[in-house]
Amino acid sequence: MRADGAADRGHRPAAHRRRSRNRPSRWPPGFVGGEADRRALLVLMALRGISPLKLLELADRERTAAATLEAFRGGRAGSDADREFARGLDPDDIDRALVACGASLVPFGSGEYPPQLENLEDPPAALFVKGRPLPPRERAVAIVGARNCSELGRELATAIGHDLATSGICVISGAARGIDAAGHQGALDAGGHTVAVLGCGIDEAYPRWSRRMIERIADSGTLVSEYPPGVPPEPYHFPARNRIVAAMCTGLVVVEGAEGSGSLISAEHALDLGREVFAVPGAITNPLAHVPNVLIREGATLIRGVDDLMRDLKLGDGRSGAPVRLDLTVAEQAALELVVGPVLPEVVARGLGVSVPEVLPLLLGLELKGLIRSIGGRFEPRLKAAT
Amino acid sequence: MYGRVIGITIVGVRGHPIAVEAHIGRGLPSLTLTGLPGAPAQDARDRIRPAVESSGLEWPLRRIVVNLSPGNLRKDGPGLDLPIAMGVLAASGQVPGDRLSRLSFFGELSLRGGLVATPGVLSVAIAAARAGLDGVVVPSANAGEAALVEGVRVVGARGLTEVARFLRGTWHPPTPLAREANEATRHGVDFAEVRGQAQARRALEVAAAGGHNVLLVGSPGAGKTMLARRLATILPALSREEALEVTQLHSVAGMLDEGGLVRSRPFRSPHHSISLSALLGGGSGFVRPGEVSLAHHGVLFLDELTEFRRDAVEALRQPLEDGRVVVTRVAGSVEFPAGFTLVAATNPCPCGYEGDPKRQCHCPPHRVELYRQKLSGPLLDRIDIRLVVPRLSKRELLGETVGEASSPIRTRVEEARARQRHRYAALGFPCNAMLPGPAARRQARMSSGGNDVLAGAVDALSLTGRGFDRAIKVARTVADLAGAEEIAAGHMAEALTYRMSLSEGSLARAG
Repeated sequence: MRADGAADRGHRPAAHRRRSRNRPSRWPPGFVGGEADRRALLVLMALRGISPLKLLELADRERTAAATLEAFRGGRAGSDADREFARGLDPDDIDRALVACGASLVPFGSGEYPPQLENLEDPPAALFVKGRPLPPRERAVAIVGARNCSELGRELATAIGHDLATSGICVISGAARGIDAAGHQGALDAGGHTVAVLGCGIDEAYPRWSRRMIERIADSGTLVSEYPPGVPPEPYHFPARNRIVAAMCTGLVVVEGAEGSGSLISAEHALDLGREVFAVPGAITNPLAHVPNVLIREGATLIRGVDDLMRDLKLGDGRSGAPVRLDLTVAEQAALELVVGPVLPEVVARGLGVSVPEVLPLLLGLELKGLIRSIGGRFEPRLKAAT
Repeated sequence: MYGRVIGITIVGVRGHPIAVEAHIGRGLPSLTLTGLPGAPAQDARDRIRPAVESSGLEWPLRRIVVNLSPGNLRKDGPGLDLPIAMGVLAASGQVPGDRLSRLSFFGELSLRGGLVATPGVLSVAIAAARAGLDGVVVPSANAGEAALVEGVRVVGARGLTEVARFLRGTWHPPTPLAREANEATRHGVDFAEVRGQAQARRALEVAAAGGHNVLLVGSPGAGKTMLARRLATILPALSREEALEVTQLHSVAGMLDEGGLVRSRPFRSPHHSISLSALLGGGSGFVRPGEVSLAHHGVLFLDELTEFRRDAVEALRQPLEDGRVVVTRVAGSVEFPAGFTLVAATNPCPCGYEGDPKRQCHCPPHRVELYRQKLSGPLLDRIDIRLVVPRLSKRELLGETVGEASSPIRTRVEEARARQRHRYAALGFPCNAMLPGPAARRQARMSSGGNDVLAGAVDALSLTGRGFDRAIKVARTVADLAGAEEIAAGHMAEALTYRMSLSEGSLARAG
């Protein structure tokens, strides 16, 4: 759905976030003019007590980064704590750490600054970037969703990441575990480009659990953060990180998300920015289907799998090759048809009119052929069987 | 003045006849015990005099020395009260000495001269029969228990007076009836009460048929405990020798409430806070059998396996391997039988809801990893059947009919066990689970179809060498349940559904 289309429904989840006319939305031209401004910017980015929006207002008044920092130091802006903090920061230290981790500072207004971020009402004053150059918006799709995702969700996100990367589309996500990680992983496996937007300093690999994957992304893809080296992950960084994910892509795919999940925030940002939102539906009883189902109800594009997405993005004919031919016995075929959602083996046995000891070998056969998986004592179809 | 009687002391689960000599000599009135008496035997010194005097007998007011021999064996337990008292009475000529050498005495005395129920009487009677004695004199409360042993006369006396009158020939004790009060299988539970859980029911049937240990993984409230408790009801009925062994262990532990032969398979479920010596056997002085021995020929259920102390879980290896446990002390080592079927239960993750379609699991992956690492290792190698027990929804439960009762399942299990006994008669293995890997591979009689399924699974399920052997053993049991000579493809495939490698979830995440 498009932002304008959604407005007609009168139920915009992110209506409150719409840009107000009186506020500046662009950093003043010449904000980072010379080396002094660049050094001042490093300190400004490291400040914790001020949001990008507040900083933007201040910059509008002071016009350059050096002057803005001077306003802080001179007591004309920010709190005592900010001043105290700014005093303790040495731009040389930050610069050295930046060089040490191999990242570079991309300030607003520079040639490398991604123009798609300018659509944001609070674009970051600068980005820290490590790895390959960022892709243009048209060539980037975001995959977001639950951290505690299901096996099916993981499988689907990996497949989407893989197929997008194979078609030359860059996969953008937030490097969290669950759906984010699966999306990155799919792109990495396909040897494609993937961008991870971090919620901590560019030199830190957080979440620690994803460290190896983040290192792989740094090698073959791109790491992005609005936080300079040494900034620890804070809970409020992640919603802010989501706006960058949403801004950098042309479309955002929500695979799974429980109520109160951050994927809803990402989707709201995407709608605000006029990006297309895709959502994978789920059973109404499934807590992980809450966010996608809400988004679909509000006009997001429903996708039933990779093929739908590829067709909508005009990246293929919507058929991922010929259907897999499998040699199933009549009994296996009948059993497969009974495995809908997570079912108990006795339910399949009853449907076939056989005993449990007779149905277990059939289910194992289907499992070994990759058509179903056993999870928590039940059996459910795998993606290959679903499409 | 000298008297000599035979007492029996218990070491581990076995009774050892000992000589109790008493000498009454000149000196200030006193009673000295020599010959390595333990603390309970030392207690006897103060208990015996009031008991003798209350019984209308005379306590010699002279210096008394009682010696327990052989002197190198530590004598423990309260059962020595009676032989010591009889030794003194014999030395003072209050009871005739002629029959004493053919009898043994065992029992704790009260201050009023009564004989109170004493643990371990069954072991005493067995030792007396083995030593070729004519009879045992035991507390009447334990007479039914002692009478289970053939070839030895049991005299059940209510007190010291009756024992003295019996020896003088003025009291003829009633012949005690061998009490087999627990004859009926009295578990109080039955498989018919389990609704749904068809796969778990079937897996437990296979476990019972092959003697396999089981790991149940499931969310809280899935019914793991309920299922484990019912495994004991489908195991084959105890043979008389097995029942005697079980009764003996319970007797020594003082847990034989009704005094009869235990005919039902024990089910023990110790709490996870259990100490090492309570689990394996031990205690200061008298070495008591632990939970592993009380579960002998039955089921040992460890709920929340990850919560048990690591050393306790590791210590289960010896009993699982050898069917016995050795408790080593400074004074020597004591051996107890401990051949049980292990059923362990655990949650799939710390919060318990991983894989549950209705509840969301909130465990970070590294915590799940840590949780599962607690399970890894040698204990899991001894568990052939691993199973996820799903938490059933109300709708799923209501859709189920009442399940099959325990007794028809037990009949099938007994038939399958008979086939195994017949097959392994020459090798001396009781059941499939006890077979070492190479023997299992040799004895399996695999059809070509079964081989194909297994070969396919090695790659697809990344089966390890041990997993391979476990699958063969379980498949052999499935075939035995079906009455098949050869392991068919279907038997092998069913066995493979009980493998459930614990790391599969986390592996999928990592990949």
